[in-house]
Amino acid sequence: MKLPQGAKSELTFVGSLFALGLLVFWDTARSEPPAFNLTVSPKVFPYAIALFLMGLCAVLFIRILRGDVAAPEGLNPGDPIEKSDYKTFSIVLASLFAYLLLIERAGFIIAAFVTFFGITVAFDNKRPSRALIFGSIFILLIYISFTKFLNVALPAGILEGIL
Amino acid sequence: MSNLNSLLEGFASALTLSNLGFGLLGTFLGTLVGVLPGIGPALAIALLLPITYTVSPASALIMFAAIYYGAMYGGSTTSILLNTPGESGSVMTALEGNKMARKGRAGAALATAAIGSFIAGTIATAILAFTAPSIADLAIKVGAADYVALMLLAFTTVSSLLGSSQIRGFIALSVGLVLGLVGADLQSGLARLTFGNMSAIEGIETVPVIVAIFALGEALYIASRYKKVGWNILPMKGKALMTRDDLKRSWKPWLRGTAIGFPLGVIPAGGSEVPTFLSYAAEKKLSKHKEEFGHGAIEGVAGPEAANNANAAGALVPLLALGLPTSATAAVILVAFQTYQIQPGPTLFLTDGALVWTLIASLFIGNTLLLILNLPLVRLWVQLLKVPRPYLFAGIVTFALLGSYALNTSTFDVQVAIAIGIVGFLFRRYGMPITPLILGLILGPNLELQFRRALQISAGDYGTLVASPLSKVIYLVIFIVIIGPLVWNLKKKLAIKK
Repeated sequence: MKLPQGAKSELTFVGSLFALGLLVFWDTARSEPPAFNLTVSPKVFPYAIALFLMGLCAVLFIRILRGDVAAPEGLNPGDPIEKSDYKTFSIVLASLFAYLLLIERAGFIIAAFVTFFGITVAFDNKRPSRALIFGSIFILLIYISFTKFLNVALPAGILEGIL
Repeated sequence: MSNLNSLLEGFASALTLSNLGFGLLGTFLGTLVGVLPGIGPALAIALLLPITYTVSPASALIMFAAIYYGAMYGGSTTSILLNTPGESGSVMTALEGNKMARKGRAGAALATAAIGSFIAGTIATAILAFTAPSIADLAIKVGAADYVALMLLAFTTVSSLLGSSQIRGFIALSVGLVLGLVGADLQSGLARLTFGNMSAIEGIETVPVIVAIFALGEALYIASRYKKVGWNILPMKGKALMTRDDLKRSWKPWLRGTAIGFPLGVIPAGGSEVPTFLSYAAEKKLSKHKEEFGHGAIEGVAGPEAANNANAAGALVPLLALGLPTSATAAVILVAFQTYQIQPGPTLFLTDGALVWTLIASLFIGNTLLLILNLPLVRLWVQLLKVPRPYLFAGIVTFALLGSYALNTSTFDVQVAIAIGIVGFLFRRYGMPITPLILGLILGPNLELQFRRALQISAGDYGTLVASPLSKVIYLVIFIVIIGPLVWNLKKKLAIKK
């Protein structure tokens, strides 16, 4: 049987959601409910949700096999699905992780700047110097307005004392 | 009469200089996010949630309400001039509005959209002001079991009616419910789905999830299918004005749109897609100029735009009176209330009456500001579309990450945000609607609470869930909402086979 375009990757996605349901089920099964008596045990909802999710995933799995492939957002059903642009995607994703790694080690300004710069360059790599200048001004403005005017604490990191 | 007095008091406190300033800022930001494709009012409000730590509840809520209304206005602008609806409620506007713009009638289309939105918004807010308190009075009698039914209804309609596929809507809902489970159970203290992570004990914060699923998810999705194409902005000649004939053809659709939009906002009908679609269909059927539909019929802009705004006001009724959000934006506004330790619901008008009336008054003010500001400033808004998209996305992502971290100054929230961003990307890629997930996350824990409360009162008798007449009616509606699309699809399939 030949699957329609995009079916395989969607099956993987739905399969992993099924696995999420299994995970919830397993976590609930192994947890120790409290000794005191409750009208509704804290296990009822997780069980119900896990079964609901797994059931739906199973149904959708079959429907995909029968040709009901999802249309990505912004496309109509049946439109050809273009191959994803993994390069741009990876740079954007890496920029997000850079923030996570840097925020407490290097401080907000550096972390946010790396993210900002990474994303602008991912989308448009022709003018990195422009992104550099606009990025630094933008991040500095945000940092100052949030820490000084809105009293939101952001880690200064290695730039502590300079600003 | 007392409602009118309270409303006047609301006006008095909404018209202070600082609250007016927040309202103005909100209309400005709202229009901005409405104009810019890819950011909607839900994301804009979620990004601004950190300000709730420093700003008074009234000011923040006034601003959020103004953003909510403003985004509706902005959305119509891009639909008409760009043919890219900024949010789902403007999809219908794009059909006729963009055709009008192509014919050089952008001004008339923008004017009928703006004036229609104003009229619908004002009428709908007036109805809101005079019905919400009485609904709240009735709602006090609504028991825990009825709440369970109401929440299940909201889940069902939002999952069924949004997006193209019912089952995908329900899966999105379940994922939201799973996220809502994480953390220590409120009643028993049992740690659920924490896997030994101490930060997860307190549960998953809603703010990083909302911010990430919209902002990070969208950025990743756009990145995955990025093409370096610019926007094709249609030039707007002349002023945003309507001729006498335009007006004659518009006023009935405005009123009909209001009549369709408001009630569909009050009942959880899954956001603004259904009412705008119904309004469009109604105008097409009733129009004397049927031949113009599909080629730029002004009725097709006037009706859906009015329906869209009336719908937004209608959605505030269940939010304020029952604490039940029926759209993503309403859900985020609910979170905003909760960060101030205010729980919307039947008792809201008693406990925080002044605040609610200020909010309602500011809706009138915001609506007026939008009309005054937007018609003359349309050109300025269009200029905003010239901000290069890379900077736009980079800026949004930076704000989103800042917001997630600043909430608890913890990297756990950033981890959650990135993970949810990836989920948001996958949902977009595989055509799963986002709103059911948010509703599941926010209302899931609440559903469990009310469910347990109902069963505690009945001492474990499950019959209590369907005991009251209200709950019986609601379960019947849920049944119809689930079965309806299935029957409809079956009929369609049979018709195709024939």
